[in-house]
Amino acid sequence: MEQKNKNSKKPSYSRFSQQELPAWKPILTPGWVIASFLTIGALFIPIGLVALSASDTVVEIIDRYDEDCVPDAYSKNPESFIQDPDIKKTCVRSLRVPKKMVAPIFVYYQLENFYQNHRRFVKSRSDKQLRDPEAKNDTYNCFPEARTADNKPIVPCGLIAWSLFNDTYKLSTRGKPITIDKKGIAWKSDTKVKFGSNVYPKDFQKGGLIGGAKLDEKVPLSEQEDLIVWMRTAALPNFRKLYGKIDIDLEAHETVKAEVENNYNTYKFGGRKKLVLSTTTWIGGKNDFLGVAYITVGGLCLFMAINFILLYVFRPRRLGDPSYLSWNRLPIA
Amino acid sequence: MTGWREASGSRQGGDSASAGTPLAVDRNPSMSTIRLGRVQPQAPGHRTVFCNDREANYLAKYKGNAVSTTKYNVATFLPKGLYEQFRRVANLYFLTISCLSFTPVSPVSPITNVIPLSLVLFVSLVKEAFEDWKRLQNDMTINNSSVEILQEQRWESLPWKKLQVGDVVRVRQDGFFPADLLLLASTNPDGVCYTETANLDGETNLKIRKALEKTWDYVTPEKASEFKGEIHCEQPNNSLYTFTGNLILQKQTLPLGPNHILLRGCSLRNTEYIVGTVIFTGHETKVMMNAMNVPSKRSTLERKLDKVIATLFGVLLSMCLIGAIGSAVFVSNKYHYLELWINGDSQQFNPNNRFVVFVLSIFTLITLYSPIIPISLYVSIEMIKFIQSTKFINNDLRMYHSETNTPALARTSNLNEELGQVEYIFSDKTGTLTRNLMEFFKCSISGETYGTGVTEIEIGAAKRNGVDVKEVQKPSHAVREKGFNFDDARLMHGAWRNEPNPEMCKEFFRCLAICHTVLPEGEESPEKLRYQAASPDEAALVTAAKNFGFFFYRRTPTMIYVRESHVEKMGKVQDAAYEILNILEFNSTRKRQSVVCRYGDGRLVLYCKGADTVIYERLASGSEELKKISREQLEQYGEAGLRTLCLAYRDLSPEIYESWNEKFIQAKSSLRDRERKLDEVAELIEKDLTLIGCTAIEDKLQEGVPSCIETLSRAGIKIWVLTGDKLETAINIAYACKLINNDMKQFVISSETDEIRDVENRVSNFLASVLFIGIIQTIQSQVKLFFQGDQVEIAQFIRETVKNDLHKYHEEAQSIIHGSSGQKLSLLIDGKCLMYALDPSLRSTLLSLSLSCSSVVCCRVSPLQKAQVTRLVRKGANKITLSIGDGANDVGMIQAAHVGVGISGLEGMQAVMASDFAIAQFRFLTDLLLVHGRWSYLRLCKVVSYFFYKNLTFTLTQFWYTFHTGYSGQRFYDDWFQSLYNVIFTALPVIIVGLLDKDVSASLSKKYPQLYKEGIDNAYFNWKVVGTLACFSVYQSIIVYNFAVASSTTGLTSAGRMLGLWDISTAAFTCLVITVNLRLLMMCNTVTRWHSISVGGSILAWFIFIFIYAVVFVNKGTYYTIYVLMGTAYFYLMIVLVPIVALLCDFLYQGVQRWFYPRDYQIVQEIHRHEPEAIGAGLLAVGNQLTPEEERRYAFALLPRERSKHTGFAFDSPGYESFFATQQGVTTPQKPWDVIRRASMRQKTKSPRASQS
Repeated sequence: MEQKNKNSKKPSYSRFSQQELPAWKPILTPGWVIASFLTIGALFIPIGLVALSASDTVVEIIDRYDEDCVPDAYSKNPESFIQDPDIKKTCVRSLRVPKKMVAPIFVYYQLENFYQNHRRFVKSRSDKQLRDPEAKNDTYNCFPEARTADNKPIVPCGLIAWSLFNDTYKLSTRGKPITIDKKGIAWKSDTKVKFGSNVYPKDFQKGGLIGGAKLDEKVPLSEQEDLIVWMRTAALPNFRKLYGKIDIDLEAHETVKAEVENNYNTYKFGGRKKLVLSTTTWIGGKNDFLGVAYITVGGLCLFMAINFILLYVFRPRRLGDPSYLSWNRLPIA
Repeated sequence: MTGWREASGSRQGGDSASAGTPLAVDRNPSMSTIRLGRVQPQAPGHRTVFCNDREANYLAKYKGNAVSTTKYNVATFLPKGLYEQFRRVANLYFLTISCLSFTPVSPVSPITNVIPLSLVLFVSLVKEAFEDWKRLQNDMTINNSSVEILQEQRWESLPWKKLQVGDVVRVRQDGFFPADLLLLASTNPDGVCYTETANLDGETNLKIRKALEKTWDYVTPEKASEFKGEIHCEQPNNSLYTFTGNLILQKQTLPLGPNHILLRGCSLRNTEYIVGTVIFTGHETKVMMNAMNVPSKRSTLERKLDKVIATLFGVLLSMCLIGAIGSAVFVSNKYHYLELWINGDSQQFNPNNRFVVFVLSIFTLITLYSPIIPISLYVSIEMIKFIQSTKFINNDLRMYHSETNTPALARTSNLNEELGQVEYIFSDKTGTLTRNLMEFFKCSISGETYGTGVTEIEIGAAKRNGVDVKEVQKPSHAVREKGFNFDDARLMHGAWRNEPNPEMCKEFFRCLAICHTVLPEGEESPEKLRYQAASPDEAALVTAAKNFGFFFYRRTPTMIYVRESHVEKMGKVQDAAYEILNILEFNSTRKRQSVVCRYGDGRLVLYCKGADTVIYERLASGSEELKKISREQLEQYGEAGLRTLCLAYRDLSPEIYESWNEKFIQAKSSLRDRERKLDEVAELIEKDLTLIGCTAIEDKLQEGVPSCIETLSRAGIKIWVLTGDKLETAINIAYACKLINNDMKQFVISSETDEIRDVENRVSNFLASVLFIGIIQTIQSQVKLFFQGDQVEIAQFIRETVKNDLHKYHEEAQSIIHGSSGQKLSLLIDGKCLMYALDPSLRSTLLSLSLSCSSVVCCRVSPLQKAQVTRLVRKGANKITLSIGDGANDVGMIQAAHVGVGISGLEGMQAVMASDFAIAQFRFLTDLLLVHGRWSYLRLCKVVSYFFYKNLTFTLTQFWYTFHTGYSGQRFYDDWFQSLYNVIFTALPVIIVGLLDKDVSASLSKKYPQLYKEGIDNAYFNWKVVGTLACFSVYQSIIVYNFAVASSTTGLTSAGRMLGLWDISTAAFTCLVITVNLRLLMMCNTVTRWHSISVGGSILAWFIFIFIYAVVFVNKGTYYTIYVLMGTAYFYLMIVLVPIVALLCDFLYQGVQRWFYPRDYQIVQEIHRHEPEAIGAGLLAVGNQLTPEEERRYAFALLPRERSKHTGFAFDSPGYESFFATQQGVTTPQKPWDVIRRASMRQKTKSPRASQS
């Protein structure tokens, strides 16, 4: 009803409203395709080679011991062996060093088919309690390992802590024991912040069920690095965790004697346990994946580039040929 | 109308003698009867209004005059708004998921789902609030516009909202009525006022309202304050054309009818002011009660989207099913470290009850996988469309019409992309294709042709033949006014006296000045006087006479006064009066109109004008040469798209006239079949005519219509013309617009064939043979009205004919289509045949025939049929349809089509109010469809498929992880990652693409209209596209997931430390965000600054977020993850490798596709790759380059002539039938009568309406 508006209704010009914003209009011409493939190939193959050679310098010894460390008498029923506290669990393994390993050499334990990432497992912890001595009653998420029978809060509570890995390794070579340094195996962020330096284990492993390793109640959690490592839950059911490090070089063809205290029950669920000794380089441990991936992708790209070049030679298409327009292709009667 | 008459009759009880029709009042003012005593209307639903008495009305508690069209108020906004939002399935779904995530089965914390949902709701609610706020402001402007209310003997200016029932108000000229008023008095004599109802029904001709004689005096405030009437009337209702009530005034009961009522929303014209009293206010006014909610249309793409969403939901369920089965199988006591045998409050992992595990796992996994349904999709689409319509369509300078100062207007933002898929356009003719602006353009007098103009149609034809004819600037001295666009010095300013046949010229001009039913209004000077005519043609002819020096300035029921110049000698002006003895009305059967008049000197002449066929049949024998020349000229005019009329006269001797007049008077006074008898009698005198000449009127095509239609048809759009006009006119315009040409095979299904006439004759001859022997030669054209033959038999015959025709044509069409001739087909059908053809048994044949035709013209169709045809194609063929029209008669079809477009032009607002888009000119359809529609379609397809892709990819990575977690439903990503993925990290770029992406520029879109076909074929969003996308999604998710978890096998730093779950998921999420954002860039045709900013910004936003998040939340698994990751070389190698590997397939696909199967737009891009886009091109005014007239004439002379056997016809009154009236079953009166009636009423009027400014 307000027709009396004397102003012109002419829209004002702006590049936005007239949809004329300056723009780059890339056209995926064969040239671009070939160039992109070549570039990727040219960049990726060297990266891949570097990564692969780095991974190649890593020396890694993997020894699966869960089956071999069960005495023959119990091989049919390893569970009764592992659950019997009276049987001595020590088991000696000898590892052959294939190539010279330069210190630091890292000692890992590797568990397989162990679902540290199961939902029930992952959430059964209390980060607050681990960090803050005031929050020891914060066991809400820790079901079913939250409290002892007399309703005292367990510190650290939850399934993760309760199931702490308790196999131990002693290494020696040529009769001399090798010191395994257990310091610095956890991430700084964990030891400094996530695990309190004034939080001490309390009523740990005093629930109804027998769990894994026990903790020294005199040592604050921030120094219980085994626990910290264990509690950084792994993403997959097969995982490795750092056990410690050795500061001496191992010569090639040397034999390392590993004395394994085989305590952890993986027999019930068919899990596997492995002891791993590995050196590292700038990309970490032995990991061919990255190098192989880079080389494969680079190679594929080069292959694709060559194919496209051949196509370009044998079946060229002139850019912007109007005869390719659908209405020009249709037969006109 | 009988309905309410009966009602009023019964209401007034036994007093039937006075229960005359209130309508009759204005026909015969003395009929306002006076009744004694108070009669209370008995009907339960009535209201009593005490005029000028606020206290008395107070008891009745009538509603105020304030209106509110807002949806919400402060209190209801939240509940109602939320309710509206949750009516959407997607939102309801997310609400359910959010509720589920509060339960212990949920693996994710509630925020994961609550945050996106509330953000989406928030945005939607803000939008709702914004729109409602605008409505509120609009209401406030209306409510606060002022009106003069009578208070204490003075007119007080008060806002509309203060108005109450019973108040007396004054409304000035051109003002709007603030409420439904009872007209009391008017400054015009006789208590008459004129109203324009354009806002109501779109009719622009003025309506007359007349006050009761008793109240005529209440004009001044002093007098008006004495008015103490009591109105008893019906309760508020929505019927615009009915009103029943009584006014009780000084103990007399006066019946009231619709002609006493002034409706809110109408405006006062040609009247200084009126005084009225308020009957209905605010929401109870008829216009408000008519305000229906326009049914909201959803676009086809959105409906398709629903299917995709449903499919996604199916995928989601099967994913859950797989996971749940896995979970039920997995749970086992052997995993002693999980202590599954201990159950807290949840049985989720109870190995002893695997069924419960299965069921609960389904719920768990649904919450986990819920992002597969993109929650922000709908709100993003809404936002994109809203901006598209408000910022782009409404602001497009290419669609701004400067003459009428009208920009394009998107009235809904739902249908932008539908514009990109239109396959059928249904167009009204008058006012849409043509301007509905009749202009006298050429004429031929005694075989001499006058007029130098070139019609747009000729220009169009010339352009198609490669000759460029520029629009020519008229010489400044040429007379140019509305209705007159004629330039030939030989006739102007008395120069006709020197022509070979000045006597004929004189007759020609007199015929124009006398033979009509036009009504002059305003001051009697050539400049100020305005003609009110039933059809613009008539006005144009009278205006022409005026410009030739025969100025018709006054009409009384018996006389016509003409100021004639140069008759006796050059320069002399004299007034001549002609006595009008008889008017033989125009109607569609007669196709002519005659006037018998007596000159001042006693000469008796019959002037006749009509369609050439009719006139030629009635010419006296002799002068064959002249007839032949004239016929050729008629054909030429017809080719040029002009509407022609022949003028003829006959000198009558008094004897012949007297004897005829007796018969005429008899016929006129007969009570039965009056019309038919009048027509018969007219036949007796309209013969032996002498041809004077012919006129050619241009119903100007709107600017650029032919080229627009050509462009649209090249775009694969089929255009149907649905018009109320006659077959011939329709065909003419169709030719003019190049919808039909002579190379086309035409199928004509008409009810005006000889066979049908024969049947009608046969039936009626039995009755007719005795009576009408003398006029047997004219029977053929007259039959329909003359004889009310056996209608059943005729109907059956027509039905059979239509059926046979349809089947015959259908077969023919099939053989032509399958043949190799490639001939194009066209179908012409008239409304009567259409009625039979729309019968269910024939409908499919009609549909199949018309779909194989490239153009279809339906003429003589009613508004209802227009809607039926539209619906036929929409439902029957399942094609996307667009209707375009400008009048109230197009409302049905506009609402029936997928997209309704209104021409915001001259014919009121009704069509625009019902439409989805309003444009000022038909030619803007090119921009609307080919540019905006195509882009919108393209963009929304991209947006939708991208949403689909990114959420599927995200969810699939989660799905793969499920297999590695013992199907426990452990989430891979942190809660916040998941909730912000949709609303922050991937939200903005896709909106930018939805707004800015364009494959080819606007000018190229119009240059290559064929590009539009991809939209019609829905090439960008079909199952194939979705399927391809899904494959890429699966591939990419596998790459991202597996590459990320591969890093968990060994330590990644030289310190040998291992990564945990949250480190790896952070790395995976980083890769994912980069991948999907880059993927978006790969989809773009253009990359503007905004693209780079938004894509870069989204990735940056993720990093900023994680940098902060990883420090702030100590108790989360994600604490410090990103810093841990950034300490490894592996991370950097990954974020380069993963996106490239993931996108390699897409890249390859795009490369191969472009190389081997290029799409049209890609070729066009390549053709024009080196051209910089012209900025501001096409926005400058075009066509202001003047060409000398000689050059144009020469160019025109060179044209190859296209012959067409069609000549133009005039005299179609535009299809003004009121849509509402026909819906109500009310027939509006014949327009010519209306005008004459007005003339008789206004004989005393020397109105003070001279000040028309």
